[in-house]
Amino acid sequence: MPIQINKAVVGKELPPFAVTVERGKIKEFARAVGDLNPFYLDDRVGGASEWGDIVAPPTFAITFRDEAADTGALLRDLGTDISRVLHGEQEFELHRPIQPGGTYLCRAKVTDIYEKTGKSGPMAFVVRETSVTDRANELVATLRSVTVIRL
Amino acid sequence: MKYAKLYFEDVRVGDELPPLVKGPIPQIQLTRYAGASGDFNPIHQDDEFARAAGMGGVFAHGMLSMGFVAQSLTEWAGAGSVRKLGIRFAGLVRLKDTVTCRGRVLEKTSKDDAHTVELEVWAENGKGDKVVTGRATLALPARA
Repeated sequence: MPIQINKAVVGKELPPFAVTVERGKIKEFARAVGDLNPFYLDDRVGGASEWGDIVAPPTFAITFRDEAADTGALLRDLGTDISRVLHGEQEFELHRPIQPGGTYLCRAKVTDIYEKTGKSGPMAFVVRETSVTDRANELVATLRSVTVIRL
Repeated sequence: MKYAKLYFEDVRVGDELPPLVKGPIPQIQLTRYAGASGDFNPIHQDDEFARAAGMGGVFAHGMLSMGFVAQSLTEWAGAGSVRKLGIRFAGLVRLKDTVTCRGRVLEKTSKDDAHTVELEVWAENGKGDKVVTGRATLALPARA
């Protein structure tokens, strides 16, 4: 029997959290993708670049997460669990480079939940938007994700 | 030449992105990507879990394919060029699949000193099925 999704979660702002970007993490991420761009991996190339240091690859902000959070909490709030979750869509708007040592504030909000029935049955779509700002409160990146929950 | 500087004037609407072929995807890459991204969902590691979840077996993180698409763009246009990248995860990538990232320039825009190109992007598995589709906006330097 399909599960119910708790739509009261719409509008929920998740607690803001900070991340500090580690040099080694940028490199680990690039290598895991198999993207060996020297602007991600080579400190000397990064140092000679317009950015003064290596930069993170475009999807790196997906690694930003609240270490203090209970990762299952949002799913439980929604009334589901990880085995039913699929990544539907992901979008990054990148305004400023993300670099080692950068400290960024992430503010996420569930902006919409809708349901549809597709080939594989009924599904709920949870839309979350996250703004990433730096210490000058300048917008560094905006992330938008759609998580699909198989009901 | 990979990592060469690409200028706005060198790009034409309709130009195709040089295809980037990734894979065959090994399990160890999903393990490394899990460690790197923090996504430890067992659905990408544990075949039994993935079958019990009704997914037919282990499949790759959608974000791994998105990383491949990002790589295809930055290898063409340069690191730091991606201003926007939006992807829909259309199909599952299984172990041993190859993923070929492609793209096509849709539009060129110049506004004040900023020059951007918009591309349609997608990636196909070995059978030619689209596994991801989307759009990208890149900022490019101008010669003039």
